Parts: sequence; C-alpha cells; structure tokens
Amino acid sequence: MKILLVEDDPETAAFVKRGLTEAGHIVDHAADGRDGLFLASDATYDVLVVDRMLPQLDGLGMLRALRAAGIRTPALFLTARAGVGDRVEGLEAGADDYLGKPFAFAELLARVNALARRPPLAAAPTLLKVADLEMDLLKRSVSRGGQRIDLQPREFRLLEFLLRRAGEVVTRTMLLEGVWDFHFDPKTSVVETHISRLRAKLEQPGAPALIHTSRGAGYCLRAPD
Amino acid sequence: MHPTEGRGAWWRTTAFRITLLHLALTLLGTLALSGLAWWATTRFALNQIADEVARDTSVLAQAAQLGGPRNLALAIDARIAADRSGTQYFLLAAPDGQRLAGNLAAAPPAFGWQRLSLTGPGVPPGEVLALATPLPAGLLVVARDLAPVRQQERFLLGAAGWVGGGALLLGLGGGLLIARGVTRRAAAMDAALARVQAGEMAHRLPARPGGDEFDRLARRINTALDRVQGLMQTLRQVTDDIAHDLRTPLNRLRQRLDLALRTGSGDEAWRAEAEGAIAECDQLLEIFAALLRIAQVEAGARRAGFTLFDISAVAATVAEVYAPAAEERGQRLRTAIAPGIALLGDRDLITQMLANLLDNAVKHGREEGEVTLRLAPGMLTIADDGPGIPAAQRDAVLRRFTRLDAARATPGSGLGLALVAAVAELHGMQLSLGDAAPGLVVALTWGDGQSGSL
Repeated sequence: MKILLVEDDPETAAFVKRGLTEAGHIVDHAADGRDGLFLASDATYDVLVVDRMLPQLDGLGMLRALRAAGIRTPALFLTARAGVGDRVEGLEAGADDYLGKPFAFAELLARVNALARRPPLAAAPTLLKVADLEMDLLKRSVSRGGQRIDLQPREFRLLEFLLRRAGEVVTRTMLLEGVWDFHFDPKTSVVETHISRLRAKLEQPGAPALIHTSRGAGYCLRAPD
Repeated sequence: MHPTEGRGAWWRTTAFRITLLHLALTLLGTLALSGLAWWATTRFALNQIADEVARDTSVLAQAAQLGGPRNLALAIDARIAADRSGTQYFLLAAPDGQRLAGNLAAAPPAFGWQRLSLTGPGVPPGEVLALATPLPAGLLVVARDLAPVRQQERFLLGAAGWVGGGALLLGLGGGLLIARGVTRRAAAMDAALARVQAGEMAHRLPARPGGDEFDRLARRINTALDRVQGLMQTLRQVTDDIAHDLRTPLNRLRQRLDLALRTGSGDEAWRAEAEGAIAECDQLLEIFAALLRIAQVEAGARRAGFTLFDISAVAATVAEVYAPAAEERGQRLRTAIAPGIALLGDRDLITQMLANLLDNAVKHGREEGEVTLRLAPGMLTIADDGPGIPAAQRDAVLRRFTRLDAARATPGSGLGLALVAAVAELHGMQLSLGDAAPGLVVALTWGDGQSGSL
C-alpha cells in the first residue's frame, strides 16, 4: 500500500515511517502542509496520515483543500490534542478517522489497514460468514457449524463489528468507538470482559478458536489455522 | 518607598488640574458679574445726575420767567449756598458772555448736554455733567460733579477685586486640599497594590464600610484580588498534585528500566521489560490526558459545542458496556431508564461521566451485590451496596487525585470523580453523594434549562 505521511516532528515521522515500512507499505513523507497538499494532489496514495499541527498549512486546512479539490483518498488524522471538539473538527474537515497522540503503533497500523479496506457503503451484505460461523443480519441469528447460538443484543453488535472486519486487527479503542460510541478510553477491562464472554459463547470446549488476541494490538476474527 | 513609579508632582494630579479649571471658570464668572454690576450702577448714577440737572434747569428757568434775571441770580446764589456737598455748579451769563451769577468760571462753548473739565485755582480737578440752556436773560448752565460716580466706580472695582481675589485664594486652597486628599487615597491604593505585586497576595486595599467611590473601587479591586488568589491557589494545588502523583509512576518506570539495564539478559526478558515500561508510560499519559480533559471542561470552552441528545440512549449504552464487568463480580446491574429524555450538553462528556460513575459503582460495590442506574426527567442516580463513602470525605473525593485508602488497592488515577464533578458543573447539574445504606448513591439533578425535547 502507498501511504503519505504528513508530519513535521522528525522523531514521530521516523517512528511511523519505519513501522509502516516494516509492515510492508511504501511511505512518502512530507514535513509541512503545503508539501503534503502538493504530494496528495496526485491522488496516487491509498491512505493519508496527516498531523493536525503543521507549519505552512495545518492539517485541517490541508484536508479541506484536498476534499475541495475532489480528492477522496482516505485520511487518518493525528492530533496531540485530547479534546472531543478536535475530533469533530477533524472529521468535518474531511478526515475519515482520528487518532490522538500519543498512540501505540499497533493502533495506528490497525486503523490505516481498516481505512484502506473500508468497503463501499452500498454493498451491505445480509449474511456474514467466517469459517463455520454465520450471522444472518435479517433474522438477527447466529450459528456455528449449524448450531444456533443465542446472543444478547450487545454481544450480537460486537460480533457483527468483528465479522464485518474479519481478518483485520481491531483495537480496543476501535471497538469502543465503533460499537458503543465511546470516544475515550475507560482504562478498565470492559472490552476484555465483553470479548471473553463472547468467546465463551462462540467457542465451545474443543472447538477451534475464532477470535484471536493480537498481542499488544487488539483482536482479530478469522478462520482457524 | 515602594518600587513603583515615583509619586509624581502634586501639580500633575487630576484633582489639582480640576481645581485649576474650576478656578478659571469662577474667575471668569466673577469678572462677568462685576462688569455687569459696574455698567448698570454707573448708568443708573449718570441718569440720576442728568435727571437732577434737568430738574434744576427747569426750576431755575421757571424762576427767571417769574422774577426776571435778578430773581434767577438770587435763586442760583441760594442754591450754591445750600449745597453742602459742593458738587453743584451753576452759571448765569449775560448774552455778551459776562458772568452774572454762579460758581463756574466760564460758559461752555455750546448749548445742550456736555461734559466739562473743571480747571482753575481753588477748584479740585474733575469732570462735570452740564446742561447749557439759552434763556431770554442770557445763558443758564447747570452742572453736577461726576466725582461721586467715579468714586462709586472705584469702589465697585475694588469690591470686585476683593471678591475675585478671595474666590481665587479660597478655590486654590480648597483645590490643594482636595488634591492632597485624593492623592493620599490614590497613593494608599497604589502602595497596597504594589505590595500585592511584590508577592503579598493576601494583602488588601483599605476600604471603609459604606464609603465613597474610592472605597467602592477598593472593594471591587479586593474582590478581584480574592478571585485571582483563589485561582492561584487552585492552580498551585493542581500543580502540587501533579508533581506528587506523577512522581510515583515516573519513579516506578525509572526503577524498572534501571533494573532491566542491570540484570536483563536475553531477548525475551528485554521484551517483557519494554512492554512493562510502555504500560507504565501509558498510565502516565492517561493521567495527563485526564488532567487536560478536566482542565478543558473546567474552562467551560466546551459549552459552545452543546447539542440536544438522547441521554436515555447514552445511559442504556453505558449500562450495556458495564454489564459484563458487573456480571464478572457476580453483581446484578439493574436499570430503570425512562425513554427519550433529551439533554442539552456534550454527549461525549456525559457518556464519560456516566461511564466513570458506573465503573466506580461496579468496582467498589459489594461482590454478589446490586448496582442500580435510574434515569428520570431531570434526575439520574447510580447506587451500589458497597462500603460507601463516609460523609466527611464526600467533598474530598470530588477533588483531583483523591483516593480513599480503601480504593488504593484497586487500579485508578483518582481523577474519575473529579471529571464527573467538572462535567456536572459544566452542564449546570447538581452533584450529590449520599448514603445508600449500605453503599454509595450518586445523584445528578438538573433543571429545565438543560432539558429539551428531541
């Protein structure tokens, strides 16, 4: 994947660039908003990672200019600010996702991958399937190996979120934001508890695991190896 | 002397300048009034003299008509003899110019009204108002000395001078007194503020109860200083708290790295140490983020982003998020949420506030106990049946970094309830901690101002 990183702090830029390169991506780097805008105007990138505070032209201005020019490359907005108002501002300026600094690299990687693979909204399937796990969105039913599994509504929504991103790493914060609209980290084990309860229902003793824990990053729902 | 600018010369004070202006105006007024009095009085006196002259002339002319020139001469002599003031002058001259009677030396050159200068030996120099009338017997001149008028004029001018001078002196003296008084008050305030500036934050300006505008100003400044001092104390408190509470995890982090450097060997060990260090860092960063968020909320800047949202839905979601955590502890999470309650506020902050409260209730509630969340219009309560919080400590737990001894064993930063308090304050909600007997009940109430319909 080809990624444009617009970040003025050389340390952070080197850290992110190295990590993304190691993950197999091609990374271009711009140190200010004007260069970033110039490079992004080509529309040859798969994902943009844009810092909010930039010299010359800040991240918000750069994204607005880009969207005004009709370039729809998915963009992840980075900011050192913790405020919720900043998140809304970033999304309104045309960002597709938002990540507060400081961040864990795994979090950034998971979000960049999710952005690149974001499916078109129109294609909403009614049946989600991974290995022998099936979810019927119309009947609101779940079964594994033909065996019906009773889920509480909250478990159903969590599983749906994971199924729609099958094969991808989903972080705790992505779950908190996507499933419950929590734009802060409660710093308690609520997510872990939800996952372990869901696991207990999906994975009867002896059955192969479906929800895998990706160490230090998050969870991934995929077919057993 | 205090280390501010010099006290400044007395003539540069506002009071003195106002005094000067006032004086100038007073003088101008006195001058105008004196001028008017002078003009009116002089005119009146002159008219009176002219009237007397005209009356004398007509009486004498009548005497001449009745008794002839001789009788007239006698009448004139009699008048001169009777005039004790010595201000009356007469002359009866024959047609050839010869003086027949009177005390004027010579006849004027023309008839009618005129002013003549008196000259000659034995006569005081002066001016007279004269009327020369031709009679069959000759020329009759009746004149009056103008010296009394001049004297009156001089007296008036003198009086004006005294009054003006007196006003000037009094005004100047009064002005200086006022200037000194005002300067002294201003200097007292200046000195008091200089002490505050020098660091004596508790020093206040002198202000008498009731008092004048200076006292009102002083009281206003004192109130402002109180507020500044309060804010500074809060800031100092927060700074101290941060310094104290961040030192502990930083110290732990340092020890861990130190130990790893001395004893670590093998990739696996290094990896474990690095992960541990990152976890410590994350905890530190989380404390920072929470502090920043509280500061941001307390600053009130978020009010601009208020929207009307469904707090019932938020409460239901938060309950859903914490339900498994409660079940893990064997607790029953009971909810009684009235549907469709609208609130004007910041959805994310209210979400976090409810999450913090429910998190506390689940964490500190009794195992196998019950946690209750109730939402009704204008009222939200969250109760647990754990140990609760002693009444004396309920205020303290709302402050930053306060953690009761019982809570020290559980993870947490001591910032959760501080954020709750700040968010409640931002939304104009009353926050109260009560006794659920047993346990803690947190109640939030709000008025119609925050409610609305979706």
